[in-house]
Amino acid sequence: MIVDELLHSIQKIPAFPGTVQRVAEILSHADYSVSELVSVIEYDQSITANLLKMSNAAYFGSRHRVSTVQDAVMFLGQENIIRAVVASGVVSFYRSGRGYGVKGSDLWKHSVGVALMSQILSKKLYSRKDGELFTAALLHDVGKVVLGEYIDRSFEKIERLVKKEGYAFLTAEKEVFGIDHAELGGKIAERWNFPPKHVEVIACHHRPDQSARERIAPWVVYLADQVCLMMGVGGGSDGLAYWGLKEVVQMFKLRQRDIEECMIQLAQELALAEDIVNVFHG
Amino acid sequence: MAECIVGISDLKVSNNQEDVLITYALGSCIGVAVYDPQVRVGGLLHFMLPDSNLDVDKAKANPAMFADTGIPLLFKSCYRFGAEKHRMVVKVAGGASILDDTNFFRIGQKNLTALRRIFWKNNILIDGEDTGMNHNRTLSLRIADGVVKVRGSNNFTRKL
Repeated sequence: MIVDELLHSIQKIPAFPGTVQRVAEILSHADYSVSELVSVIEYDQSITANLLKMSNAAYFGSRHRVSTVQDAVMFLGQENIIRAVVASGVVSFYRSGRGYGVKGSDLWKHSVGVALMSQILSKKLYSRKDGELFTAALLHDVGKVVLGEYIDRSFEKIERLVKKEGYAFLTAEKEVFGIDHAELGGKIAERWNFPPKHVEVIACHHRPDQSARERIAPWVVYLADQVCLMMGVGGGSDGLAYWGLKEVVQMFKLRQRDIEECMIQLAQELALAEDIVNVFHG
Repeated sequence: MAECIVGISDLKVSNNQEDVLITYALGSCIGVAVYDPQVRVGGLLHFMLPDSNLDVDKAKANPAMFADTGIPLLFKSCYRFGAEKHRMVVKVAGGASILDDTNFFRIGQKNLTALRRIFWKNNILIDGEDTGMNHNRTLSLRIADGVVKVRGSNNFTRKL
């Protein structure tokens, strides 16, 4: 069974970069020490290299040229430094994958788009950017990175179920692999010892109605993902073959124009976030 | 051959015979390719939303974002290169939707409706289209001969 092979293969996934967790922990204290933060980040060469490349992205809005970790910590501010560090730590993981019927860089672009959209939506829906969601949103499709190794030999089967039998993409994955990319992503997040909230956001990002514990977060990431899929942000072979859940409309009291306004904002932010997207290429 | 990429909410017009205008990842957005075979001028628009009344300032800054501001600008930009309306060949792709029964996410359908309304009002016929469904598309226009190609998400490419 492919599912056993998949579950076995996630045991071999590299550990989640400890630096990211250390940085989050340090930043959770209001009186954190800048020099401690700098030394933790600098200890990780790969994160440092990525961080310096993306710190000058217009998205982070620093008016100063960032050329050292010290600059980044000083100029980016607490909220942005954690986002930049998370993205720096996670991008290597996406680089190692083969994409999912698309280029790995498209999957990364999609992930950045959903992460940005999760912030736009949380600002609109409950008037604050939910920084915690950024990490989970950036990793929502992590299951696809692993499934990418298997997709080539099974893609025709999935394609046939979607095109000829009218399956949603997720159901077709489940039928062919025995597990879908969201559920598999949840297993990876568990292996990385992510907090249960993040695990649930990743595992339920297509079916937030099946989330047992978390009521809001999986819906926000679900909506961010659906809108990015619609806009074709890093769109893959799955295209738009997912079910819309009408509960989301009532839940957030959304109007059509709210979604359209968020689309405009994302299009603008994506233009600013080009350096974050491009860090994929090293 | 120079490949000119048209991004989301973007349009490009060319009379350079070497150029191929191309736009990737059309989901619910729509790509409109127009071409005048006599003067060999073409343009490609990738608009995102149907109606500029949503945000008049954004529409001024970036008319290519909306159907009702982008489509007129696409034609006008081609006229500047000597194209004429009665000779224009018009092809469209995109306007896909998520599988849903709520009518809420149907931005793809709304984009299509807006496009057809604008064309109908202006007496413009669509010469080829690949729209709707639920997959992404890539649309390209070759300036040398006006060949328009569309690639669906199954990587199958066909001439429109």
